[in-house]
Amino acid sequence: MHLVVQAVILGLLTGGVYALMASGLTLAFGVMRVINVAQGALIILSAYLTYTLFVHAGLDPFVALLVITPGMFVLGMLLQFVFIRPLRSEDREELSLLVTWAIALGIEGVLSVVFKTTYRSVNTGYTNATWDVGGYTITQVRFYGFLLSVAILGLLFLALTRTRIGRAIRAVVQNPVSARLLGIETERVAAVGFGLSAATASAAGAVYAMVYPFNPNSHYDLISLLLTIIVLGGLGSLGGAILAALFMGVAEAVLAATISPTWAKLTFFVALLTLLLIRPQGLFGVKARGAI
Amino acid sequence: MIGVLAAFPFLFSAHWLVNIGVFTLMYAVLATAWNLIGGYAGYISLGHVAFFGGGAYAIAVTTTHHYAAHGYEPFYVLPLVGAAVALGSLPLGWLAFRTRTATFAIVTLTLLFVFQQLAFNLRSLTGGSSGLLLPLPLFPVATYERPFYYALLGLLTCGLAISWWVRGSKLGLTLFAVRDDEDRARGLGMRVTYAKLAAFALSAGFFAMAGGVWAFYIGSVYPQFAIDPLVTIGAVLMVYLGGKATLWGPVLGAVLLVPAQQYLAYRLGASQLYLVGYAAVFLVVMLLLPRGILPSLAEKIRRRRGRADPGRPPAQVERPAKELVRS
Amino acid sequence: MKKQALIVAALFAATASVVAVLATSAGGGTRSASAKPITIGISLSLSGDFSDPGKAARRGYDLWQQVVNAHGGILGRTVKLKIVDDASSPNQAVSNYTTLITRDHVDLVFGPFSTLLTAPSARVAYRYGYAFVEPAGGGPAVFQQKLPNVFFAQPAPVINCGDPFVHFLASIPTSKRPTSGAYPALDDPFASPIAARMQGQLSHKGVKSVFKTIYPPETTDFSPIVAKMASKHPQLVAAGTQSDDAYGLVRAMIQLKLNPKFVFLSNGASSALEFPDKVGRSQTDGIFSCGDWFPQAKNQGNNQFVAAYLKKYHGSALAIDSGSAEAYAVGQIIQAVAKKTHSINNKTVIKTLHKGKWPTVEGNLSWNKYGAPKGSDILVEWIHGKLLPVWPKSLALHKPTYPKPRWH
Repeated sequence: MHLVVQAVILGLLTGGVYALMASGLTLAFGVMRVINVAQGALIILSAYLTYTLFVHAGLDPFVALLVITPGMFVLGMLLQFVFIRPLRSEDREELSLLVTWAIALGIEGVLSVVFKTTYRSVNTGYTNATWDVGGYTITQVRFYGFLLSVAILGLLFLALTRTRIGRAIRAVVQNPVSARLLGIETERVAAVGFGLSAATASAAGAVYAMVYPFNPNSHYDLISLLLTIIVLGGLGSLGGAILAALFMGVAEAVLAATISPTWAKLTFFVALLTLLLIRPQGLFGVKARGAI
Repeated sequence: MIGVLAAFPFLFSAHWLVNIGVFTLMYAVLATAWNLIGGYAGYISLGHVAFFGGGAYAIAVTTTHHYAAHGYEPFYVLPLVGAAVALGSLPLGWLAFRTRTATFAIVTLTLLFVFQQLAFNLRSLTGGSSGLLLPLPLFPVATYERPFYYALLGLLTCGLAISWWVRGSKLGLTLFAVRDDEDRARGLGMRVTYAKLAAFALSAGFFAMAGGVWAFYIGSVYPQFAIDPLVTIGAVLMVYLGGKATLWGPVLGAVLLVPAQQYLAYRLGASQLYLVGYAAVFLVVMLLLPRGILPSLAEKIRRRRGRADPGRPPAQVERPAKELVRS
Repeated sequence: MKKQALIVAALFAATASVVAVLATSAGGGTRSASAKPITIGISLSLSGDFSDPGKAARRGYDLWQQVVNAHGGILGRTVKLKIVDDASSPNQAVSNYTTLITRDHVDLVFGPFSTLLTAPSARVAYRYGYAFVEPAGGGPAVFQQKLPNVFFAQPAPVINCGDPFVHFLASIPTSKRPTSGAYPALDDPFASPIAARMQGQLSHKGVKSVFKTIYPPETTDFSPIVAKMASKHPQLVAAGTQSDDAYGLVRAMIQLKLNPKFVFLSNGASSALEFPDKVGRSQTDGIFSCGDWFPQAKNQGNNQFVAAYLKKYHGSALAIDSGSAEAYAVGQIIQAVAKKTHSINNKTVIKTLHKGKWPTVEGNLSWNKYGAPKGSDILVEWIHGKLLPVWPKSLALHKPTYPKPRWH
């Protein structure tokens, strides 16, 4: 029992970080009907930026975010402008999948030239520190990472509900045609949405860099996981993605602790396939939207 | 074209050239097969390499258990393996076809990871991460590559024949209609699900058979190589480059890309920019030639001729079924 | 449809002829009898998953070429390496060796990096009668192919890495030996078989096996595994690890305060620079690992190798990747054969290497019929922040210290 509770704690902390990672992906899908396969690569890119700033400038990963986040926002808008916008809208959904895959490969290629393929990790002073709470161990880094994820998700939520551009984004997500009729410049909104989605990658990357060792290849594992999460949650649904992420984090940790870590990976995908049998549109997907 | 390919090992008998020919044909088979579902029906499956791996493991398992098998036996079981995997793919296809477009792509990608995990975890069957070894084929050294080459050429011929037949059949008509507007096609009373499943199973079978030949040729099967997402991506890129939903486009894509890739890695690989270059080619194709080389060329030729050739309406090369559905 | 086929055929013919022309222009070349250099073809992973170890091997090969040419080459001929990239893919490795042998007609071939690529490549070399001395393909698959042309240039097959540790444990007083063992292992052909072998040997010697698990390569979070392992209170943790997973495992053990009396990590802990960097130098004390080479070794030509390495690539001797030494040893073996037989004919090389012991920076090597080396690895331990050979006694620079101090 102790083992299971410990695993649930770990799983919730991990799930929070997954939620942050998946939020960007589902946001990009919402505003542009684009599955951004490069999201994993963007997260790893941010992890490397965090690493570089930490090792060479001595910047704490949480502080480094202040520099990296705006950079990633701009990069996201740039990627949208150069690679996504030129695609004809009728086959954008299909082509964007392949185009962003190519972007991911490109980022991986550049990273492996610059940083080589050895695993890196960011070892801050508090990397190995833990708290004992009633016999359960809580890793401080993970807890901070969880807090950061919650904070960023909160900010994202505020931005989407309280700002003009945020409301425009939501309008586009809900119905692009009427949004355009209402005078919203959908392409501009899409660019900002894509930028925001890339910006969430920066925080996710910083947390990832502190918690896990990574190399340019890590984005494959990441993206397969994130794609599963957003399909599970229902494409384009932010709340669904968050719930699915928490569920996945806990399920993975509990199964790894009780059964075996090699089979735990598989249960993930099996969960997804089972769900598709019952509810093809995902947990929170709406049938008409969500492209199903 | 098939004649040229058949004569190739005799015209250029150097082992290294025939070796490149083997890989080129392998990808030509994969691209042609993927085109059935990805091109004709417009369903982007990113997980087809799972079937490639299925075929590779099937051949590896059946031959390692008979270590004395030193000849052509694996080629004989190939059609069986293809048929078995095609059948096995039906329930998976049925499950995946509950979704469309991007979700379908993700679900098929998930299938890929499931199969890779299974290959890693079912150690008693697959050897897990330690992989499986196949017996050393005792083909004469002077013509060592030829059995593999002609086996793949046979597969390609079948694949093209089926592809050609599909294009002219009711099945093809339905598939093209699905790509253009699935709900409409269903509304018109077409047997949409049946057509999609048929295309899915056919292409899965070819992936499996190509995987079987590959396993025998390389001689060892590891999960990360037999079920490598880059294999599907390679095939997809070739289809897009040559011309999606055309008959010969996938073959053209393979003929252009595989030798270039192999030769460049050999000559320039040390520059390390291999991945970046690959990504760049991919992006250029997607952004500048989204329809592929053959359709673009065909259109150019047609334009030069003006409208003098009424037997070939403009849309026929790219989307033969569209007009038929509307009429 | 016909037109399409014609276009494809024309393009295919064009590609084929361009390749053929390139081939003849590159493959030919003038050949004058006596001064003709010895060309050695090698496919290495210079990009992709294995590119870091692949590049370490390349440094070893390059260095050997430089040293041997500075001493007049082999049989009076200079040595020329033709190194090509296989992008960590078996397809490309097979293509590369086929091309090196049948197009470029190299005199010899040396092995690539990793068993996963060595197994298929060795078949190509075998087919064309080439000797295949290889630095890094030590997994069972390579030897199971039963190819007589393969020679693995390390003291022991990879899965025997735990043997010296087991022998060491058997040598200490029974009261101090661990009574229970945990065996976590990475799902990798170079890791899980090591742990499985140690588990078998140790339970035979009375160490009760209380925990065993195999985790997938993409595991980044080791807390659940370690939490479960800690609940069994093992006195020994013998893990089959590669690199990043070794760091993750140790970090999780520190975080969850699992303090066994003995910790053995097959790989990862054996890297003198990375390991203390990843887990903190003060935490490394008392951790055992295995190694095939270390810079202070008194093996044949090792001083020369280390000196030449530092001169060419700078840095410290501790930072030299053993992969470079392994590749260097491959060259030394060929050099020794040429010296003994005055020939680099592949048939002669294969025949000669099946007899006798061959001194290299990796120690004195000898092989069974199918290229598996007959020697044994070295047990190394972290003592006061330094990685030192501690077993067997003949090679030890320090006595093994135990039990392991607690994490702090």
